[in-house]
Amino acid sequence: MAIVKLEKTPARPAPLTERSVIGWMHRHLFSSVLNSILTIVTLYIVFITVRDLWVWGIADAVWIAESRRECFDINISGACWAGVLAWMDNIIYGRYPREELWRLNLGLIVLAIWMAPLWLPRVKAKILIGLSVVFLYPFMAGYLFAGGEKGIFMQIMVTAAIVCLACNTLHSIIGVSGGGGLREFLFRLPAIKDAPEMSQRNILLCLFGVSFVAVFVWQMSWNLDGVPWTQWGGLFLTLVIAGVGIASALPGGIILALGRRSRLPVIRVLSTAFIELFRSVPLITVLFMATAMFPLFMPEGIVLNKLVQVMIAVCLFNACYMAETVRGGLQTIPKGQFEGAHTIGLGYWRTMGLIVMPQALKHMIPNIVGNFIGLLKDTTLVSIIGLFDILGMLRAVSVDGAWRGLHNEPLIFGATLFFLICFAMSKYSRRLEQKLSTDHKH
Amino acid sequence: MTNSNSLETQEAREKLASAASSEVIIELDKVNKWYAEFHVLKDIDLVVHKGERIVVCGPSGSGKSTLIRCINRLEEHQAGSIVVDGITLNKNLKNIDHIRTEVGMVFQSFNLFPHLSILENLTLGPIWTRHMPKAEARETAMKYLERVKIPEQADKFPGQLSGGQQQRVAIARSLCMNPKIMLFDEPTSALDPEMIKEVLDVMVELAETGMTMIVVTHEMGFAKTIADRVIFMDEGDVVEENEPNEFFTNPQHERTRLFLSQIL
Repeated sequence: MAIVKLEKTPARPAPLTERSVIGWMHRHLFSSVLNSILTIVTLYIVFITVRDLWVWGIADAVWIAESRRECFDINISGACWAGVLAWMDNIIYGRYPREELWRLNLGLIVLAIWMAPLWLPRVKAKILIGLSVVFLYPFMAGYLFAGGEKGIFMQIMVTAAIVCLACNTLHSIIGVSGGGGLREFLFRLPAIKDAPEMSQRNILLCLFGVSFVAVFVWQMSWNLDGVPWTQWGGLFLTLVIAGVGIASALPGGIILALGRRSRLPVIRVLSTAFIELFRSVPLITVLFMATAMFPLFMPEGIVLNKLVQVMIAVCLFNACYMAETVRGGLQTIPKGQFEGAHTIGLGYWRTMGLIVMPQALKHMIPNIVGNFIGLLKDTTLVSIIGLFDILGMLRAVSVDGAWRGLHNEPLIFGATLFFLICFAMSKYSRRLEQKLSTDHKH
Repeated sequence: MTNSNSLETQEAREKLASAASSEVIIELDKVNKWYAEFHVLKDIDLVVHKGERIVVCGPSGSGKSTLIRCINRLEEHQAGSIVVDGITLNKNLKNIDHIRTEVGMVFQSFNLFPHLSILENLTLGPIWTRHMPKAEARETAMKYLERVKIPEQADKFPGQLSGGQQQRVAIARSLCMNPKIMLFDEPTSALDPEMIKEVLDVMVELAETGMTMIVVTHEMGFAKTIADRVIFMDEGDVVEENEPNEFFTNPQHERTRLFLSQIL
C-alpha cells in the first residue's frame, strides 16, 4: 500500500452525526443513560416552572382593579398587576410633583439627543462629545431636576451646556449628511472662507461668544420651581445616583490606579491607602458613615443634603473598585509598549493617554461593565438610609391602603426592570468589545 | 566560510564604504550599571563617531542589550557618564525626552502599537512630539513605508502582518522621527529564518544612507557586511573590539574564540 499519495485529496463533508440536529441531540443530550435521565428531568422542571409562571403571571392575572381586595374577587390564583400599574408613576418618578414631571422627561430626552451622535457613523470628534456629556450634562440635568435659585456659576454652566448641546447637534447633523463636521461647515461659509487665515479663528471665537451671551441672557429669565431632594425617588432617583456613579467612577478609578502605580511614594501610599480603605468596607457602612459622619467634619453652618452625601459616597466607593479594575487592565499591557512609546519621544501622560489606556480600557470592557452593573444594583442600598429609590417605592406599594400586603408583584416587576437594564448593558459591552477589537488573531 | 560567500561580503563592503566622520556622537565614560546587586555593566568606555556602524555581540546575559538601552535611557546607569549628541544623560526629564526623539530604537519584539493602524503607528511620534502637521506626517510615513517596501500595508493593523513585516514597520516608525542614531536590539532574533533576510536587507540599505547604527545581533554575516567595528562583550566587560575582518579571522581573546566557534 502506498503511503505517498500522488493526487491531492479533496475535502469531503463531515459525517451525518456531526451535522444534523438529531446527531447533535444524540451527542449532547442523550449520550448515556444518566445523561438522558438528567435531560428529561430538567426539561420537566423547566416545563412546570414556565407553565406555572404563565398561568400566574399572564393567564390568570388581573390587570384592572381598584384594590387588592377586588383583585382577589376577580381571580385569587393570578397576579394582581393592577396594583403595580396604579403605582407605576410612583415607581418611576417617586414623589416628584406630578405637574413638574415634564422636567424629568425633558432631561432624559436631552440626554438621548446629546449621546445619540456617539452611535452615529460619520460623526467626528466622538471623544469630545463624550467628554461634554460627562462634564456639562450633569449641570443642566441638575438644574432641570432640582430647580430653584440659579447662582451665577450654575447660570454659566447651564448656558455652556445649552451652547454645547446645540453645537453638538448641529455638528452631528452635518456629519451624518456627509459634510464633515461643524468646523468644516463653518469654514465653507463664504464670509469665513474668504477671510484671512488669522481672523478665521477670531470669527469663530466671536460666533461662539455671541451665542454664549445670547443663550445666557435668554436663560436668565427661566425660573424653575425648586423640588427638594426629599421628593426625588423611584427609578429616577436610582438612575440619577447610578448615573453620577458611573460617570465619575471611571475617571476617578483611572486617577487612583495611576496614583497607585506612581513612582512617587507619597502619591502611591495615599492612593493605595484610600483604595484599600474603601474596598474593605461594605457599601452600606460607607453610606451610613457618609450621612452620619460627613456633617461632623463640615464647618458649622454648612448643611449638606443627604442625597449629595450619598452620591459622594457612591462615587468614592465605586472609584476605588474601578481603580483595581483599571490597575488589572494596566498590568496586561506589556512593558514593551511603554518602551516603544518612549523611544518615539512620548512622555508619561502621552504614553498613558495614547498608547496604554486605549489598549487597557479595551481589555477591561467586560470588567468595567460588570462594575457598572454592580453599581446600578448596589444603589438600591440607599433605600436603607431613608431615600425612596426604586426599591423603596416597590416596597411602599404593600403599605398603601388599597394594596396592603401586595409584595410579590411589585418586586417581580422591579426585578424584571433591573434584569432588562443590566442585560442590555452586558449585551452592549459584548458588542463594543467585538467592535473595538483590533487583535486580528486568527 | 566558503570562498564565494566571503567574496560576496567583500563586494557588499566596498559599496558600504565607511561613512564614519571624526565627529563624536556618543561617548560613554566608565559606565557602570547594577540590577539590584548584580553588576551588569562594568566600566564601559565607548566612543561612537557620526555615521559609524557598530555591531555588539556576546553571549546572553553579557550586558549588550543593557548597554544600548542605557544610550536612550530605557535603563538608568548608576556611575560614569553617557553623552549623546552633546547632551549628558542624567535625571533631567527634558533632556531624556529630547534624546529619545534623536535616538531611534528597534526591539526584538517589535513593540508596535496593536490598537493603531500601521500608518497611525508611524505618524504618532512626529505628530505628538515633533508637532508635525498631519498631512506632512502621513507623507513622511508613506515615504518610509516605501523604503521598507510595504506601502500597501499602511491601513492594516500590526496583528495582520508577518513578523518580518512588523519589524520593518518598527524600523520605519523609528525613521519617521528622523533620528540621528539608530539602536537595534536583536532585531531578528524573534523572526522565522525566511523573514530574517528581508529585515537585514532593510538594515543594510539604511547603513548605505550613512546612518549611525549600533546593532546588537547574532547575525555574523550581517556584522561582516556592515560593521565598522565589532564589539564583543562578556559578563559586563567589553572583551574585544576590532574591525570585522580582524575580529572574525583573528580573535585575540580566548572567550571570543570560544563564542565564535560556537556560533559560526
